[in-house]
Amino acid sequence: METKKTLFSRVFDGSDEMFAWAERSIAEVSAKYDDSTPIAYQNTAYFLAILYSMTGRKNQTLGELKESLAWCKSQMTKDERLDDVFRSGIATACAAEIIEACKYVGGATPYSEPFYGHMSDAEVRELGVPLVTGDIPGFVVLIGAAPSDDQTAEIIKSYQSKSIYVFLVGECAIQAQRKGLTMNHAVRVYPVGMELPSVAHVVSVAVRAAMIFGGIQPGDYEGIKKYTFDRVNAAVNAFEPVPDITVACGGGAIAYGFPVVTNDEKDMWAVPRSLIIQPDITQFVDTAIEARGMKLKITNIDIPVAYATAFEGEVIRKADMQVEANGSRHDSLELCRLRELSEVEDHKITVVGKDLEEYEFGSQMNLAMVVEVAGKKMQPDFEPVFERQFHAWINAIEGVMHTGQRDMIRVRVGKQAYEAGFRLKHFGEVLYAMVKSEYEAVVDKCQVTIYTDAETVKQLRAEANDVYDKRDARLLSLTDESVKDFFSCIMCQSFSPSHVCIVTPERLGLCGAVSWLDAKATYELDNSGPCRIVPKGDSTDDVIGIWPNVDDAVQQYSMGALEHVTLYSIMQDPMTSCGCFECICGIEPTSGGVVIVNREHVPMTPLGMTFSEMASMTGGGVQTPGYMGHGKHFIASKKFMAADGGSARIVWMPKALKDQVGEKLNKTAKELFGIDNFTDSIGDETITEDDPEALLNFLTEHNHPVLTLEPLI
Amino acid sequence: MADVKKFTTVEELEADTTKLYERACELCADTWQQRAEAQKNHCKFGEGGICCKNCSMGPCRITPKAPKGICGADAHAIAARNYLRMICAGTSSHSDHAREILHVLHETKPEGPYIVRDEQKLIRLAREWDVAVDNRDIYSIAHEVAEKGLEEFGKSFGEMRFPSRAIESQQAIWRREGIWPRAIDREVVTSLHMTHMGNSADPEALIRQGMRTALSHGWGGSMLGTEITDILFGTPTVWETEGNLGVLENDLVNIVVHGHDPVFSEAIVTAAESKEILDYAKSKNIKGINVVGLCCTANEIAMRHGVRMVGNFLQQENAILTGAVEMMCVDIQCIFPALPQLAQCFHTKFVTSSPIARIPGADYVEFNPSTASEQAKLLVKQAIDNFEYRDTSKVWIPESKQTAVVGYPTEQIIKHLDAITNSHVDEIGSYRPAVDAIKAGVLRGAVAIVGCNNPRVRPDFSHYEIIKTLLKNDILVVATGCAAQLATKTGLMRKEAKFECGAGLRRVCDLMDIPPVLHMGACVDISRMMLLANGIARDWGINLDQIPVVGCAPEWMSEKAVSIANYVVSTGLDVYLGIEPQVNGSSQMMEWITEGTRKLTGGGFIINTDPEQLVKNIIDGIEAKRKALGI
Repeated sequence: METKKTLFSRVFDGSDEMFAWAERSIAEVSAKYDDSTPIAYQNTAYFLAILYSMTGRKNQTLGELKESLAWCKSQMTKDERLDDVFRSGIATACAAEIIEACKYVGGATPYSEPFYGHMSDAEVRELGVPLVTGDIPGFVVLIGAAPSDDQTAEIIKSYQSKSIYVFLVGECAIQAQRKGLTMNHAVRVYPVGMELPSVAHVVSVAVRAAMIFGGIQPGDYEGIKKYTFDRVNAAVNAFEPVPDITVACGGGAIAYGFPVVTNDEKDMWAVPRSLIIQPDITQFVDTAIEARGMKLKITNIDIPVAYATAFEGEVIRKADMQVEANGSRHDSLELCRLRELSEVEDHKITVVGKDLEEYEFGSQMNLAMVVEVAGKKMQPDFEPVFERQFHAWINAIEGVMHTGQRDMIRVRVGKQAYEAGFRLKHFGEVLYAMVKSEYEAVVDKCQVTIYTDAETVKQLRAEANDVYDKRDARLLSLTDESVKDFFSCIMCQSFSPSHVCIVTPERLGLCGAVSWLDAKATYELDNSGPCRIVPKGDSTDDVIGIWPNVDDAVQQYSMGALEHVTLYSIMQDPMTSCGCFECICGIEPTSGGVVIVNREHVPMTPLGMTFSEMASMTGGGVQTPGYMGHGKHFIASKKFMAADGGSARIVWMPKALKDQVGEKLNKTAKELFGIDNFTDSIGDETITEDDPEALLNFLTEHNHPVLTLEPLI
Repeated sequence: MADVKKFTTVEELEADTTKLYERACELCADTWQQRAEAQKNHCKFGEGGICCKNCSMGPCRITPKAPKGICGADAHAIAARNYLRMICAGTSSHSDHAREILHVLHETKPEGPYIVRDEQKLIRLAREWDVAVDNRDIYSIAHEVAEKGLEEFGKSFGEMRFPSRAIESQQAIWRREGIWPRAIDREVVTSLHMTHMGNSADPEALIRQGMRTALSHGWGGSMLGTEITDILFGTPTVWETEGNLGVLENDLVNIVVHGHDPVFSEAIVTAAESKEILDYAKSKNIKGINVVGLCCTANEIAMRHGVRMVGNFLQQENAILTGAVEMMCVDIQCIFPALPQLAQCFHTKFVTSSPIARIPGADYVEFNPSTASEQAKLLVKQAIDNFEYRDTSKVWIPESKQTAVVGYPTEQIIKHLDAITNSHVDEIGSYRPAVDAIKAGVLRGAVAIVGCNNPRVRPDFSHYEIIKTLLKNDILVVATGCAAQLATKTGLMRKEAKFECGAGLRRVCDLMDIPPVLHMGACVDISRMMLLANGIARDWGINLDQIPVVGCAPEWMSEKAVSIANYVVSTGLDVYLGIEPQVNGSSQMMEWITEGTRKLTGGGFIINTDPEQLVKNIIDGIEAKRKALGI
């Protein structure tokens, strides 16, 4: 005869506790605010995302929040069946979300260092690509505290070294802070809040993924659960003691498909693959990874520091910098060259010039990283494809920062990495290992040479510039008209099952990560992989961009979800989006132009919508005429909404984006429309943040070409 | 909700049956529906088990006016004796089947026709029985194991081996109650002796002997049948197959294999796949040969070859009534003597193969293991030759069929359980994950749904209703025999049937990648279910009568079923029956089978002829067991 309280009773009691807490929170804010008081999290188009996803309710006022609380109660049924446990568990998460929302009433900012609370839509969307590529194998949320700070830090670092995104709820965040861990979205450690209800912000990320990438409709209770169960690799680590209220949250987590690993043996019940009692917390990480079946990208590289994509977001401050190579000040570059097989000695790593110990702390250096590859199936077009990866590969080294490309790179080696024994040959090891593992199908041999000698690097730079110029010329010659094949890309179908990208020379994938050359290389590497060849064939309308072969491809690869896609129009059958697009454009009715917003831009736009709100109009493989997700580099393409007037339609962009693409866009506008300095006539937030009339005045003053075009609608 | 192909309802099954029945009437053919009508109303003395024909002073029938037979035997004695004789017949059936298979094992040789396919299982069994295995030829081991197995039938001294596979607490109960079986033949003979005129009249003694005899079946003949069949033909694995009359094909030669013993049907399946036969078919411009199974033969070959299942017990005439069957080959048990006559209404050849089941009007080809291949090829050729005589104007094949995932013996279940363990905390090769899921409440328990069809009730209806209700209540179903076939043909054995389940069972199906109704085999394979229950109790560390696992036979009809039900309760598990055993003429016997056995072994019958009520009884019973465990 078991004497402990049953698991189901613990969940039911815990859900009652969370409900009572939510009631108190509502009562407290109701004492100060009336029912019409607005309720909102910042920077999201998904309202209170858990409640929105599970019920379709938007909860925009305190009054509506009260109704949702009543709904939570109605869900907390207590029959002795798992269905009741799942419903109660999800209602517990919803009640937690209500508690959290109350904290934000009246525009309050309830969270401060080290906690972040609610995660913005932009941050969620940013996770799309790495989740799809497996660069983030999953998420883990730690709840409570390990017996010691060291143990908590160990667990966090261990996840980080495997590129798993870690959320921290409760005391563990304080422990990590005491240990001096860097914690933010960029390094994939996200302290959420001190109190248990803040775990709602983690659930919110999972359900938003379902709506953003999966196109699951808000209110599709079963659909959301199925999406998270099938596609969101998340797990929970709950440190003892685990009270009923946490068990109830665990019930919700398990309902969504996220297993819970705990070291609490008292009054706990094991459930296979769902609730796992692991008394040894040093095994938490491996236990959780196995429980959720997270697939790690194993990269064994012989270097003295950790190597994981989680370190890509790491910043090395000047004060912590051992040595820096800055291409804008001292000649530095990176280059990938195709050689004959006889010219390359596999895994030969050479350092020419001084090594790191010969530089003073904080000093500058010259640096050229030259990777030479050979293989029977190699093509010259793959050189830039590989080379563009160097940034991500070098950046994933713990304690090393890399920005820029070609001869404008900037590389910093941190003091800690240096002291751990990191030297120049380790750049070689990393580049060698990554080229061989990512491109093993085409690379038979690879050698790396690192140069620091100023004279040699200077010479190399001149040679490299020649190569870069030739490549640019080749790229310019690559137009939609000049090639005979396009490519389809379904890399993100694991997340967004009905989306298909068609990648052409003049239109890269909307995530910004897959150019026509990338797609071609991906196809060459694996003929049955995510990128497939789409023989262009004849178009039936080359203005709008209709190719019967393209339609066939999208029908086939979207499993019939999509029938037609045009390549050059945002009005007629625009290309769909998965949700991880870099930018979104949408029609601005007053001027008849389009507003383009990049993911990083948080504030309002003249459309009366933020990026998040615009983004929520599309995504998940849905076609919404007038809105389209795309990559940044598509903006300057001659094919950018060519059927609808082209880039002459662009009336507003955030300044940062304008700066980024301005040069190329101006060039395109000059060629297409004979306009000089076109970007000067495009509005930005310094002209107006959200006023379409003010924007129209600006456009008129600057004689913007859109004013001469036919209205789009 | 996911887009799930619809399930086939009992009404749809019945519509096909009705249409076939109407065709039978047009042909003036005789079918079970007419015969069942003609047999109404059944003899009350027979139903109550109170007619004694054990000597020629009688028959004696018990009435209020004549409460005793001529010898003085009362209703209790007569009902108990008749009941024990049913157990004997049931035990004999599966056990004699096992004996035949042991003889086949004894005749195995490397060049065939019968070989050892699961050597590991043979070696495990050899070790269990202290047969030397090291440095020894596998066939030499096989032959000695066969001899040891045959000893289980009639050993002079000692007792049976397999009961010591049970957990110790159960063995202790069998010892305490004196029902550990000695040998199969011994228990049957003893029973027949006890029921002879002038012997036992004490219901308790007869019940106890019934339990001992039944144990020689469940933990003897049946278990031998299963083990040796696995050794000979391979331990079943997961197959995707199809079920129901729609598996018959309009443009192929249809051969239906029917019965229980796979020795014959395996040979037919192999022959039909041989190049010689395929070439022969080609020479006759025939596209192919479609071998399908019926009754438990279907279960056997479906879980070893994925062969499709045409139907269960009460569909045996339906198969012939399609007019599309070139040949029906039968072996043993549950074969209607009506079939040869029905086959004569069509071109269908009806072939019997076993001296155990001789039926007038059939072509009798006594099947001999040593000439199996040649005999099977000859028969398949005859079926091919018969194709041209098919009268297409008489053909109507119902479209209805469903896919099913079959083949979950205990070994396979363990594999799926291993897949949901976590290597950092769990051990593999145990039922522990299932135990944890039950203890936590995710699964409420498990029910073994077994047994036949019976025209006394609406055929297949109770199986369907009970299974569906159990699934909704997070109760895993394991099924064998005709119950398993019902799940097959309705679609409940598809993995998509998880959408018919409560959240708990559905999650288990998702994680384990299984359908919610697990196909464990033929009726002889209920021994597998005993090992499953035993393993769960062992890995839980409690007694068999404590685990929330029970048996249910909603539509049982055969004497085998009576014996099976008795070995299941003797193993400590409750059995829920939808048909009343024929003892209700004795209040004492009714008390014995429902409550009396429970006092001995912890298991008893719960009888309810209303399926809706019966399934409630099951759920209540499972929840009561949970409550007693504090879970």
